[in-house]
Order: sequence, then C-alpha cells, then structure tokens
Amino acid sequence: MKTAFDLNDDSLVVIVGSGAGGGTLSHELAKKGIRCVVLEAGKRFERKDIENDEWKMFSKITWLDKRITAGPTALTQTSPNLPTWLVKGVGGATIHWAGVALRFQEHEFKMRSLNGEIAGANVLDWPISYADLAPYYEKAEAKLGVTGTKASGQPYHEPSSHFKVIAEGSRRVGAHCRPAPLAINTTPRDGRPACQVTGFCMQGCRFGAKWSTMESSIPKAEATGNIEVRPDSMVLRIEHDDSGKVTGVLYVDKDGNQHFQKARLVAVAANSIESPRLLLNSASSLFPQGLANSSGQVGKNYMTHTGTGIYGEMPDTVSMYKSPVVPGLVSTWADNDPSRGHVGGYELEILHIGLPFMSAFLKPGGWGRELANSLANYDNMAGFWICGEDMAVESNSVTLHPTEKDQYGLPIPVVYKGNHANDTAMIKHSNEQATAILEAAGATKVNVMDRYPASHNMGTNRMSARPQDGVVNKWGQTHDINNLFISDGSQFTSSAAENPTLTIVALAIRQAEYIADQMQQQMI
Amino acid sequence: MNKNKATDTNLSRRRFLARSTVAAVGAGALGSALLSPAAWAAKAIGDQASATLLRMARDIYPHDTLEDKYYAQVMTPLAEQAEKDDDLKALLKDGVAALDAQANRLFGKAYLEVTAEADRVTVLKALEDTPFFQKIRGDLMMGIYNNEELWPRFGYGGSSWEKGGYRYRGYEKNDWIKGA
Ligand SMILES: Cc1cc2nc3c(=O)[nH]c(=O)nc-3n(C[C@H](O)[C@H](O)[C@H](O)COP(=O)(O)OP(=O)(O)OC[C@H]3O[C@@H](n4cnc5c(N)ncnc54)[C@H](O)[C@@H]3O)c2cc1C
Ligand code: SF4
Repeated sequence: MKTAFDLNDDSLVVIVGSGAGGGTLSHELAKKGIRCVVLEAGKRFERKDIENDEWKMFSKITWLDKRITAGPTALTQTSPNLPTWLVKGVGGATIHWAGVALRFQEHEFKMRSLNGEIAGANVLDWPISYADLAPYYEKAEAKLGVTGTKASGQPYHEPSSHFKVIAEGSRRVGAHCRPAPLAINTTPRDGRPACQVTGFCMQGCRFGAKWSTMESSIPKAEATGNIEVRPDSMVLRIEHDDSGKVTGVLYVDKDGNQHFQKARLVAVAANSIESPRLLLNSASSLFPQGLANSSGQVGKNYMTHTGTGIYGEMPDTVSMYKSPVVPGLVSTWADNDPSRGHVGGYELEILHIGLPFMSAFLKPGGWGRELANSLANYDNMAGFWICGEDMAVESNSVTLHPTEKDQYGLPIPVVYKGNHANDTAMIKHSNEQATAILEAAGATKVNVMDRYPASHNMGTNRMSARPQDGVVNKWGQTHDINNLFISDGSQFTSSAAENPTLTIVALAIRQAEYIADQMQQQMI
Repeated sequence: MNKNKATDTNLSRRRFLARSTVAAVGAGALGSALLSPAAWAAKAIGDQASATLLRMARDIYPHDTLEDKYYAQVMTPLAEQAEKDDDLKALLKDGVAALDAQANRLFGKAYLEVTAEADRVTVLKALEDTPFFQKIRGDLMMGIYNNEELWPRFGYGGSSWEKGGYRYRGYEKNDWIKGA
C-alpha cells in the first residue's frame, strides 16, 4: 500500500531531493519510525528505463533546466548553459554515479590548520574530525556494499583490460594502482545482483548491481510505510513563521498546481546548485538575504574537484569500455605534500566513456584530422578522470540571475567557477603524472581534455564551527534556523581528493540519528 | 553476439585503422573526383551545394575508409528539413556560398576545386565560428560517432546488457601489456 500524507500534517519531516543525501536520510529516518515526505523535482524511473546508450540516457535523466555557466574558464564557451552534470529524477545523481566510494582522509578535515591561510582561498576546518565520521563511514560502506571493505565483506572487482594497462603503466613509473572500492556488488547482496560488467555505470545500472537511492534506499524507505515520495514535485520556496522557524514548503506538481506541504522540519538535499538556490529564493522580510544566510555564505565556496579527463592512445587494443567504469585508482599523490607545489591531493581514477561522449569531450567543439585519427583509435585508448581537491574560494558561487526566470518562474542560477592558483598547480602536476603513466604503458599520444560539466558539486552551504563562517553546524543543521537542515553535498567544508558520495551518505546517516534524538527531546 | 561476429568486428576494425593511415596520404590527391554528386544530392540546395557539403563533412571528421553514405546519411535529413524550413535552407545555401567565397578569396577557386585538404581546412577554419559550420559539425559528430551502425568500425561495443555484459565475454582479456 502506498503511503500518503496530508498536506496539513505538520508533524512530518519534509525532505527536498531524493539523491545521495535526501534518499539516504529518508531511509534512515524511516527505519527510526519518523515519517517523511520526499519531494523530488524529477520523475520516477524504473530499471527498464535504463539503456546502455550515453546520449539517450543523457537526454532522459539529466537536469537540463537552464543554468548559466560563468567564470574565466573555457566551460563558459563549450557548455554555456550546463555547468553541471546532474540528474533530475528519483535517485538524483546516484542513478548515474560511477560508484567510487572513498572515505576522506584524516587530514582532509583540517586543511586550514594543516596548511595555514592560503591567499585568495577561503579554506576552513570541518567542525567534525575523521574520528567523528569513522563509525558512519563504516555504516555507509555496509549500506552501499562497498567492495574491498570489512563492512561489506565483498571482494573487489577482478581486473579488467583497462585496469591492467594502467596498473602496468603505474608500476613502470613507481606509482601504485589499486582496485577501486565501488558501491557495486561483486556478489549477490542486499537483494541486488552482482555486476555483469556492461560498462555503462554512468548511464544507470540496468541490473541494479550498483547502489543508488533509486534502486535501494528509496524503495526500502517506502517499504517501511513511513515515507511518501512525491515525484514531479519542484519545491519553489521554504516558508517560515514570525519566530523564524520553518513551517513547510511550497511546491508545484507536474500539472502546474501549487501545494503547500506543512512540516515540523525541512531537510534540503537538492544538490549543491539547487539547495543554495532554494535558500536564496526563500528570502523574506525577516530573512532578506535568503534563509539561513546571516553569514552571507549561502551559495559561496562552490567546489567541483580539479578534475579533467586524460586519454592515451596505446599500441594495441584496450577496449576500455569492457569494464566497470572505474576499475581502479592511483592514489600515489592523494596526500598533502606542499613540496609538489600545491596543497591537497588528487586521485587518478581510471575511467572510461563511450565513443559518443569521447567525440564530444575529447576536444569540445573540435574537428579535423588529428581529432578524427584519435577517435579512430578509440579502442586503443586508456585513461583517467582526475579527482583533485579544489580550494574553497568565496567568489566561486551560485547566485540568482537578476532577470532571467525558469519554467517555474524562479530566477535561474548563475554558477561561477574559476581556478585558484593551487588548483592550477595541481592540475599541471596531475596531468604530468597521468601522462607519464600512460606513456609508460605505451601511449603514443596523450590527449588532455578540457573540463566537462561538473559531476561533483560541493560546498555551497558549508559546515562551520562558528556561525559567521558557514551555513550549517556539525550536524548539518542551519546555524540560523533549528528546524532547517542541509543534507547533501553542499554541506562540505572542503572537497578533499575523494569522490563525495560516501561522505554525503555517512553524513546523512549521522544526521538522521541527531534529528531523531532532537525530535525525541522536543528540541525541534 | 557470437564469437565469429566478434572476430569479424575486430578484423574490420584493424582494416579500418590500417586503411586510414594509407588513405590519409592519398586523400588530398583524390580530391573531388571521389565525391560524385550522385552519391548525395539535395533538392533544396542543388547538386553543386550538395557535393560541397559532402566534401565539407568529410573534411570536418575525415575517416577516409568510411563510405560517403555515412556522411550523406547525416546531411540528408538536414536537406530534407531544409525543403520545409526556409531558415535552414538559407543557412545551408548561404553557408555554402560563404565557403566558396572564402575559398575563392584564398585560393581563387570554389571549395570543391581546392585539392589539398590542408587548404580546405584553412577555408573551414575561417568559418568555424559561424552557425552554419557549428550546425554541420554538431550534426556530424552525432551522426558519425553516435551511429550504432558505425560503432563496430571504431571498435566500440555499444549496448551490452542484453548480451549479459562482458562478465563472461572477455572484460579481462589483454594479451599485450606485459606484467599484466
Ligand atoms: C557521471 C557522474 C559520475 C559520478 N560518479 C561518482 C562516483 O563514482 N563517486 C562519487 O562519490 N560520486 C560520483 N558522482 C557524484 C555524485 O553523483 C553526487 O556527488 C551525489 O549524487 C550528490 O548527492 P546530492 O544528494 O548532493 O545531490 P543529488 O544526488 O544531485 O540529488 C539532488 C536531487 O534533488 C532534486 N531537486 C533539486 N532541486 C529540487 C527542488 N527544488 N525540489 C525538489 N527536488 C529538487 C534533484 O532532481 C535530484 O534528484 C558522479 C556524478 C556524475 C554526474
Ligand atoms: S558495469 Fe556493472 S555496475 Fe556498471 S552498469 Fe554494468 S552491471 Fe551495473
């Protein structure tokens, strides 16, 4: 039986967004008997909607509402209205994530103390330590079934051809390539089958071997009877009472009808673009700068990882597409060693894309014989996506366009992103190391891509110990409003060298405990 | 897909690659003789413009071993649409005219008559930011590299779930990287 709650039920938790953060939070709260409504702007997809086709899936699930790419980078030209690569659908970007599930390193929670002030950056320590999060990482690994962890007991994936080529290249330069911890089953587990190696993880997993909130957490949450998911429900604004407490959200359904859903507590998990946008769009006479924005930090410190793609053309067949998308990692430079000329580290992540995406991203807008020859070599390619720590910079931001509105009548977001000098130094270093590995494996030509629309988006409602430095406290609760929470990647104080999702999930599990406790104590 | 098919694919790919390098040398000399307008002609814009567009298409993503029909396949829907869409028709006709004008300016002849690929590339470079060029390039990128029929020629497997993925079909296979 499908649970349905009343719009006037003010005892509910309302969660905005059903991706890594929102989907997880709903499941964790549901298990504790807390009733939630999940409002999701996108529609509901089924496993049969998942196709092994890059462009078809791109047009089917991507968040394509107009955004403006701003900043001093080439992305403003090559992708003027698509600064990010995110999903609009129940499951959010977990539908097409590659499944790389890494913990942050201990030092990455205190980059400010470790490296001191960095000119031009707005670096801050997290208000929590690795030790605070470690038990939740463990829970997250068990929940997602991360391979190679004690928590899941699942072995790593066996090495694919792509892995072997990179592993050997790495060995030849004295670096080390290891199997990637993936939230992708290698054995039947938790009601989901083992990976069949279709090679299309970033288009959604047709078999359900890969964890996603669409595949796992949302259905489980619904099965408790404590959760109602409303797809095609775009939240327009969050309302509050005279005391400043939030009272619920205004949203529009797929027929264009507006509804007001009352709430005891609102948790915003709409990703690092839409979450700050929603807070800014909820400005009122009491909060003229937007909700929870007394610090002025809502929408600031936008981080994406320094990542770029880099592909070598090998002397023989690699068929990199016959592999889980990310079979392995070179973590040799993931530490913080300023002697390299930059602080923070990076992971070289073996990653393939198909020929259709390769033709679009190898040299965006490019043409001519050199490019055609490289694409003719597609089957011989091997390479990486580089995931490096991006510095928090206040001017990298999500702001509201002064005049232009979207189909809902909301100001469209302007997403500004430039590179800090540290990012530039890191990109140079990482490109050199990646090139060396590819050449050592035999590459006759190495292609460094321009950055493509950001798949990792973080930091725009960051955690801080002091209210003036950020938007939320160590529980993801806004400093300004105690029944308003942020539950997604926008909470991140720093971006670290690792992919964000395991940390988003760990934070959501931890936040659910706190919310349950606070509700029980009648603090909220 | 059975094993024979897979070998076929592999062979044709090797041939494709081998021929690309040989053909790359000869392509310029063959020039427009290779491209009979009969291969593809669009009513809306006429024979000469059709042949010019086809040459341009081959110059944008030159794969010498790919038959004209694959490039024509991309141009045909455009031309058909142009019959009903005056803006598009103008974009194509004016685009070809601009291409010829540029070729005339630089080399004293129409685009189609410019024999060296490098020279034609110079002409294209001058127009690369125009909506005309961008439209043709974008459609070609999708039409060539997002064309299922051509994927085996590039050694790309396409959809695999209906064949059970590569779990039992050689994802681990690599016989050339030493130490693997
Ligand atoms: C191709 C690709 C590969 C990736 N691979 C990895 C990987 O291997 N490892 C990793 O850790 N991370 C990976 N990521 C990143 C990962 O997917 C994201 O970090 C993560 O999903 C973000 O979670 P989130 O909860 O912040 O937001 P999302 O998952 O984006 O969820 C936000 C949801 O909110 C909805 N929403 C937005 N606005 C509103 C509104 N106003 N009202 C209602 N609903 C709204 C959206 O539709 C969406 O469903 C990848 C991303 C991409 C694009
Ligand atoms: S490679 Fe494995 S995890 Fe990835 S989509 Fe295919 S079956 Fe799913």
